[in-house]
Amino acid sequence: MDPRETLSIAVRSLRSHRLRSALTVLGVVVGIAAVVTFVTVGASLRADIVGEVEGSSANNIYLLSTPADDGGPPDAPRPVFTEHDVSQLREVDGAVRVVPQGSLPVSALTYGNDTVGRQQVTATTPAAFEGATFLAGRAFESGTREVVVNERARTAFDRNLSVGEELRVTRRDGDATNVTVVGVVNSTGTELPFQSFVSRSRFYFPTEPFYDTVVESPALGVNQRAYLQVTVVADPGGLSATQSAVQEYLEGSDAAALQPSGYDLSARTSGDIADSLEDLVGRLTRFVTGLAVLSLLVGAIGIANIMLVSVTERTREIGVMKAVGGTNRDVLVLFLTEATLLGAVGALVAVPVGLAGAWVATEYADIGLTVPLGWVGVAIAVGLLVGALSGLYPAWRAARVDPIDALRRE
Amino acid sequence: MAETAHTPEPVVALEGVSKTYELGGETVEALADVSLSLPAGSYTAVMGPSGSGKSTLLNLVGGLDTPGEGTVTVGGRELGALSERERAAVRGGEVGFVFQTFNLMPRLTAVENVALPLVFQGWDRDRRRARAETLLADVGLADRLNHRPTELSGGQRQRVAIARALAPDPAVLLADEPTGNVDTDTGARVMGLLDDLHAAGNTVLLVTHERRIAEHADRVIHVRDGVVECIEDLDDGDRDGEA
Repeated sequence: MDPRETLSIAVRSLRSHRLRSALTVLGVVVGIAAVVTFVTVGASLRADIVGEVEGSSANNIYLLSTPADDGGPPDAPRPVFTEHDVSQLREVDGAVRVVPQGSLPVSALTYGNDTVGRQQVTATTPAAFEGATFLAGRAFESGTREVVVNERARTAFDRNLSVGEELRVTRRDGDATNVTVVGVVNSTGTELPFQSFVSRSRFYFPTEPFYDTVVESPALGVNQRAYLQVTVVADPGGLSATQSAVQEYLEGSDAAALQPSGYDLSARTSGDIADSLEDLVGRLTRFVTGLAVLSLLVGAIGIANIMLVSVTERTREIGVMKAVGGTNRDVLVLFLTEATLLGAVGALVAVPVGLAGAWVATEYADIGLTVPLGWVGVAIAVGLLVGALSGLYPAWRAARVDPIDALRRE
Repeated sequence: MAETAHTPEPVVALEGVSKTYELGGETVEALADVSLSLPAGSYTAVMGPSGSGKSTLLNLVGGLDTPGEGTVTVGGRELGALSERERAAVRGGEVGFVFQTFNLMPRLTAVENVALPLVFQGWDRDRRRARAETLLADVGLADRLNHRPTELSGGQRQRVAIARALAPDPAVLLADEPTGNVDTDTGARVMGLLDDLHAAGNTVLLVTHERRIAEHADRVIHVRDGVVECIEDLDDGDRDGEA
């Protein structure tokens, strides 16, 4: 039978039951669009993670003391890295810079007449800003009352902050100090990666003179500043060697001695963190996509169901086709074509719908949209396949219709 | 005139055909040892009450059914020896069905319905359309080419069905109670059309339970309980009286 004629008859049959066909297609659209959305969001997340790591933070090694995975209740990181650790880490082969970072407890920040309550700001050293891109101004200098803010912090008050203006910081004990904003950055380049997931205002204060969290250094026996986190910027050529050396040092460090039991010291590169994040995102994507595939199965059942109804309704037509020379194969192909058309139309509608859903999700999460074209192709192919497979049994039933019985029907 | 020694090859021949059905655990003998032949250009009516086996006879000749015993030959091909695919080709090419209930495809236009058998025969689109238009013009429906069955009267539908039956230029035209679903006047016009087709040289096999309709034929085969009771030859005088 002429394929064009088959297609023409199939299209007319589907159009003669517009609502029914549309609802069946809708079932497929929901399934495929869900798959496309989740796969695309997953791919976009991965691309975002890879993009972070490939940036200026590629050679960073992040040192943290965190509760072990199988430990007790989740707890915040502790300030265990002492000044002694920081200076020892500077001696490690391949360490270009070592940037400590601490949390400075405050109660409020005031700009002009606007006061914003705040728990803490970041204390770090000028080295944190080496390699950072400044939107305005420069890094602070150690020992001065200068601060650097990020873009989000610039707009945290009723008037926009700009370089050169004065900010008033109120400490926990009630002491208030005036500081001068000297720079605006997007990110320091030494902070833990993936901060873009939580885009919030940041204020960077110099450790000298502001940071005053101290512990007794076990190695030296004197009180020293202690930090929450240390970033070692390694020589690009020897990242893994530097990482091993850092890990080796950590075993005998003040941090190892100071950290409570149940805590682990880790020295992980951006790549390490990206790997575990990617793994997590991958697992989540697979799980959610699995759910979407289930809904696609429901769509497939919808096609099979409606095609069976169609075969029953059109038994007489099938008889006529056979009486005027149609073979079993002609009938089979006709019904398969109809089912496949339902799947194909579903897939064609679902792809833009799914991509639109993914776009909304990535806009919301503030990450770039990465369209996995291969997967979109797979989605369309799956639509066709779902239609064809769901139509297989109904079409087989149609092909087996006995023309004598069919024509006798009233 | 009747020279048995030199009859032409029959278009349809049944030899010792039997057919039984299982119906509710009981075996029903629809046809028992039926033999008959339709010469080319003949006009034959099969008459009998319902359940007599006349529909089974028509289904066998039309290649919709296969005999339990015996042979059915249409256009020189023995149907029992053919594959399903080949029998479909015979249905679409050698025989033309005209049904009591028209059996047109509801979503196809008149011209598409007429062209449908040619689709299965593999004709190309332009040839199909030209042939269908000619045939519809022949049955007086040149102005109804693109109408759907629901937009046509009963008589018009039956004429579309007759045009469809003629599309592949079949060896035999099979009409199953062709006037059963139309009023008397329309029925007379349908029968007039069949008479004309016979006059033009077509072989016609008509199944009916009405004597008045059967008398259009040259010959009436009376069947009852699956056997041929008698074959009645009608002269022209009887037919003209009815028409």
